[in-house]
Amino acid sequence: MCQNPNEPSKNPSHFESIHSSENLPTHRDLLWEDYQNLIQGLRFFDPHIHMVSRTTDDYQMMAKAGIVAIIEPAFWVGQPRTGLASFKDYYSSLVGWERFRSSQFGIKHYCTMGLNSREANNERLAEEVMEILPLFAYKEGVVGIGEIGFDDQTPLEEKYYRLQLELAKNAKLPVQIHTPHRDKKRGTERSMSIALEHGLDPSFVVVDHNNEETMKSVLDQGFWAAFTIYPFTKMGNERMVAVVEKYGSERIMINSSADWGISDPLAIPKTAALMKQRGIPSEVIRMVTYQNAIDAFAKSGQIDVTDFETESQPDPNAKFHGNSILRGGQQPVINKNSLLIQ
Amino acid sequence: MIDIPKNLTQFLFEQTTEKEREWLEEKVKSNVLDLMTAFVAAPRFLSKKIVSYDSKSKGCLIPHQVGFQVDGWNLVRLSRVWLLLHLPTEPKEQFIKNIETLFDTAELNELVALYSALPLLPYPWEWLPRATDAVRSNMGFVFDAIALLNPYPELYFPELAWNQLVLKTIFNGKPIHWIYGIDRRKNKELAEAVSDFISERLAAGRKVPLQIWRLVSPFANESISPKLITLFTSELKAEREVAALVCFESTNPQVHSLLLKYPDLELSIQNGELDWSKLESIPE
Ligand SMILES: [Zn+2]
Repeated sequence: MCQNPNEPSKNPSHFESIHSSENLPTHRDLLWEDYQNLIQGLRFFDPHIHMVSRTTDDYQMMAKAGIVAIIEPAFWVGQPRTGLASFKDYYSSLVGWERFRSSQFGIKHYCTMGLNSREANNERLAEEVMEILPLFAYKEGVVGIGEIGFDDQTPLEEKYYRLQLELAKNAKLPVQIHTPHRDKKRGTERSMSIALEHGLDPSFVVVDHNNEETMKSVLDQGFWAAFTIYPFTKMGNERMVAVVEKYGSERIMINSSADWGISDPLAIPKTAALMKQRGIPSEVIRMVTYQNAIDAFAKSGQIDVTDFETESQPDPNAKFHGNSILRGGQQPVINKNSLLIQ
Repeated sequence: MIDIPKNLTQFLFEQTTEKEREWLEEKVKSNVLDLMTAFVAAPRFLSKKIVSYDSKSKGCLIPHQVGFQVDGWNLVRLSRVWLLLHLPTEPKEQFIKNIETLFDTAELNELVALYSALPLLPYPWEWLPRATDAVRSNMGFVFDAIALLNPYPELYFPELAWNQLVLKTIFNGKPIHWIYGIDRRKNKELAEAVSDFISERLAAGRKVPLQIWRLVSPFANESISPKLITLFTSELKAEREVAALVCFESTNPQVHSLLLKYPDLELSIQNGELDWSKLESIPE
């Protein structure tokens, strides 16, 4: 936002420059606050977000925007882990602390477990991780093996990808595939053909981070196609709207993949608002922002929608069973606009 | 394997379906790794219905462990504890390693089950660091599993850890009368800490849960008299009653004599009409 207060006449309000309200707005200063009402009352499910890297402010905004449940895939925390204990602690945080923290905001937290492709390249450590992975894969609320697949597309990445596909098969869990940033098209094809080679049912496999180039083959082969709305590097949400306009909602889902990078935990509600504005039918929006993710990951037997579909707003005080993230006596929701801190 | 009391197994099987029972029986026949995986995977095969066990009518589940209770647990928690009791306890190092591995990799509900099982596991002193860690937990259910209705802390916690547990229970606004053995392990250090806590809260214009005065009462001395005098003039009946109970239980003559002005309260304590259990509402 680079408005110059001295030249008000040169700063049109958001739609002034747009001649027809039918048009997709391209104004850079399109403000989220102005569009939230478009998605009033909608429920969202973000099947890919790394809350470990996010703040409680994010949780509050997400809950307010209608996100009722999320899946946190095990992934790379930004720097390589040097020992098994770090993996154990990380996995434990996904099923322990983070799940608990999320519940404090009325958001149901699930996760997928896996050894990520980058760290698969440390063979000694990868071997050790594979030994403890089953203890995590069978846990309550673990809805899949993920996110696994390729990064540099090395032989070691392939080795651990295959081993984890076998684990998923034995545990009857869906798989969440991370497709590489570089050489994406080939990496995606390779991931899918290996999964099929191991006898996985494509309806149990969610291929993530798709783009206009990869999605057709993913859908044609019967896999779920997930799209990550991530600024600059992955999909933008205007492009996403165009994809949904063209392909509809079948086996398509969107996520934020918000993590420690410049990303947006509200990617789903924002995209939903854009779709609504663009005139995409509500049912289509519901499928790609909510239902499809549930259908795909509920194959784990670990998703009970009554956990987050019950109509009553969570009463934070009733839910705050004691201590939690709240330091002695803190209140769950604070009024950020108030000068007084009590 | 630990000698599993018949009552426990019988009660567990009364709660299961035929299919659940078969799964449990099959798992305890398998090797250690499968048993540990079964501990983890239990919610995939068992329902989470709440069990209710009335120890008064049915007797004690674990004869040598009167404080152990399962009322309000769900079937998964109960089954997990039961599965743990089937782990081979020899050699000791291996048994400890297996339990430690389960702790290290546990999610919230598994932790609850593990802490619930502590009073039943062999080598009780080995679990002390884990148990005191749980008191530090910020996850409510994990804290509750060790602190409330669990006989392990009373039996094995050293005084410092015990006092931390009680203080944290107070701090978290949880009912201290659910700490097993709370009255048996009152001590002077704790009384002083609670007394300081009371002063701090009152100075900040906040209330304190009335139950916590019971930790102070046997050790109450003159320094606390002004607060008691204020309590006696409270508009709340419960606060006046608490003041009376503290004076009654104090061994300090000066504190005790404060009660002289309130003969009706003293009488109801002497008659057994007023005691701490009458105040057992959940604080704040
Ligand atoms: Zn990710």
